[in-house]
Amino acid sequence: MRWFHRRPEITPMPPSDEGIDGSDRRVAARGRRLSAAAVALALGVAAAATSGAIAFTPVSAASGPLVIGDLAPFTGPDSALGGYYIASCLAATTAINKDGGVLGHQLTCQSFDTRGDPADAVPAANQMFATTPNLAMVIGCTSDEAASVVPIMNTHKMVSFCMTGQSEFDHHHYPYFFRLVPPDLAESYAMVAIAKYTKHYKKIALAFGNDIGSQTFVNPALSSIKKAGLKLTANVTLDLTASTFRTEAETVVQSHPQVIFTEALGSAEATFLSEVKQLNGGKMIPIIGTSATIDPSWYSSVAAAIGKSTLSKNYVADNLVTATSGPAYTPFYDAMHAVASQVTADDSGSLATLLSGPGAVHLFDGMNLAALAMIMSKSTVPSVYKADILKIGDGVKGAVVVHSFAAGKAALAKGKAIRYIGPGGPTSFDSYHDSPGIFQIDGYGPNGAVTVVGGITTAHYRAVQ
Amino acid sequence: MSLFIASIGFGIVTASVLAIASVGFTVQFGVTDVLNLAYASVMIACAYIAYLVNQTGQSVWLAMVVAAIAGGVISLVINKYIYAPFQRRGTSPTAVVIVSLGVLLIIEFTIQAMEGAANVSYTMSQGATYTLGGLTLTGVQLVIIGLSLAFMVGLHLLLRYTRFGKAMRATAADRTLARNCGIRTDRVITLACLITGALCGVAGTVFAINSGSFGATSADLFLVLILAAVFLGGPGQPYGAMLGALVIGVATEVSAVFITSDYKYVSAFVILLVILAVRPRGIFNAGTIG
Repeated sequence: MRWFHRRPEITPMPPSDEGIDGSDRRVAARGRRLSAAAVALALGVAAAATSGAIAFTPVSAASGPLVIGDLAPFTGPDSALGGYYIASCLAATTAINKDGGVLGHQLTCQSFDTRGDPADAVPAANQMFATTPNLAMVIGCTSDEAASVVPIMNTHKMVSFCMTGQSEFDHHHYPYFFRLVPPDLAESYAMVAIAKYTKHYKKIALAFGNDIGSQTFVNPALSSIKKAGLKLTANVTLDLTASTFRTEAETVVQSHPQVIFTEALGSAEATFLSEVKQLNGGKMIPIIGTSATIDPSWYSSVAAAIGKSTLSKNYVADNLVTATSGPAYTPFYDAMHAVASQVTADDSGSLATLLSGPGAVHLFDGMNLAALAMIMSKSTVPSVYKADILKIGDGVKGAVVVHSFAAGKAALAKGKAIRYIGPGGPTSFDSYHDSPGIFQIDGYGPNGAVTVVGGITTAHYRAVQ
Repeated sequence: MSLFIASIGFGIVTASVLAIASVGFTVQFGVTDVLNLAYASVMIACAYIAYLVNQTGQSVWLAMVVAAIAGGVISLVINKYIYAPFQRRGTSPTAVVIVSLGVLLIIEFTIQAMEGAANVSYTMSQGATYTLGGLTLTGVQLVIIGLSLAFMVGLHLLLRYTRFGKAMRATAADRTLARNCGIRTDRVITLACLITGALCGVAGTVFAINSGSFGATSADLFLVLILAAVFLGGPGQPYGAMLGALVIGVATEVSAVFITSDYKYVSAFVILLVILAVRPRGIFNAGTIG
């Protein structure tokens, strides 16, 4: 192959940018038209977005399917969460639709990507309201974006079941906000209780991601470790966008902890833990994860990086008590299995892990609660049906306990008061619509199925609070 | 002290991965005149191709060769069918950068749509761990350092001692003048895209090996480090990119010892700002490749 011509060739100079000949004028004119079109388009989009934000009216008894919006990260480091919640939504809506739907409406799920970033979450929420006239409720709203989108949803009077543990929602009343997962500080206390009373560890290292959702565990954990009389050996923050954490891992390894408390989503956890194992001479340091680590995507990436059996032997996490058998579990299991092909085909991974994941269990309960509340109130308007969520969740005197949407709908048709107790256990809403629940200790089996390995007593929990 | 020494070792590993990526990036920039932000997404695409090969039971090193070939082809296709037509129509360099940003997003989202949001890992052994005076490195990390050195030496020989290298340098210096001097610049650009694309494929694979776990967007921050290394050394300067990679790689890891680790990248960019304040065109920039 030759890289040089035999004879130099003279190539014409490209047309000059200077001077306006006929073609340049045409280009300039076209540019002006394009600019005008762009401005018009921008104004149109702005007007549409604004009008959508202001003029949104919650769905009434109009025809057509009701939409459950999954407002969560579908891209970015926490992208697995959105798909995970969609899996739960598919299961719940399929079961509800199979039983005739709600007040003549079928239910569908629609995703709205927040990218796990408040800056992207606000336009995503506005777009959701602007483009979804039949929106009946919202799920998702993780700690990544909850602080920015919950006020928007509240303004639009839209019921939301959020997967955030952020403590700012512990004492701030948003009438349309509901939460079936514990506050992060409660999880931090549970982790310390597990370390001290179940595993009898004395030296603890913290390794949490630098996202909002993970960092909220750190300060409560630090105070709880101190109160429990345990020793903090290291506290590292993991940048979720980084590709390696060797110095952080070495910092942890050299501090010789007996256990690492951790939550870092995306590829960060897998990378960090594989480096800890590598730098610790191939031996894994035991880990206690938050309930967010009971997640198919987290499991698959960490198990691939450090080995399934290593993870199984060295991992436990706090989790709210959830049913693994019985009348509440069976309809949940059946609903999840009914959509198994869709669930396993997407990024939600293993169905076995999903069945114990808080995102699947508690959102499933939230959607059933809302659907039953719509039937009870005979309205799909959130401002009307939200009050009945509390009545059905906590129960009223003489209420019949039901464990599925179908059973609840049948009981309501007979004019009975009901209390719904789903796979996530009985709810007990406080005045801020939080239902914190009771903790248990979960682990992963060798095949990724979540197993209950113990419990946390109230006395132990209170001792580290 | 031992943590400090260990961090230097980790920094050298990071720098090795960064050097392969940033040298490929800067040579591609020098020859094609495109600040190709899609480079990071091509890296990840190649890492996934290597993953697919690895999942068939093949060695990750063989998978890396396949990824290198794929990287070359993808880079060539992107340049020939996307960037070059824009350049021929007189699109400004800034607009072409935006086009490359679009290509980056398209590739990333395509990977995510195909592979899902879950992260994956290669099936491979990290090899024995070697400790020397506080430095702790695995066999695989030593191989990565060796590979990086080999590619740097190879590129040096290519640029300095071959007719193609000379043609490439001339094309980078002034494409029109090079063409008028008889250099087949189109052919040079084609082969340069193949070579730098292959480096991109190798970089993607060693990046994924080094990370232990990766996903569709894992290289987003790494792209910023590549740009930092490239601009530190002087855009279009392979030797500058090598030095830039070393500075950025070591600075990020060492600074994690002394400051909160999630701010470790800040220190690298402080160094970048200081050096650019003193030498605005980068350490090595003399206007031509090499």
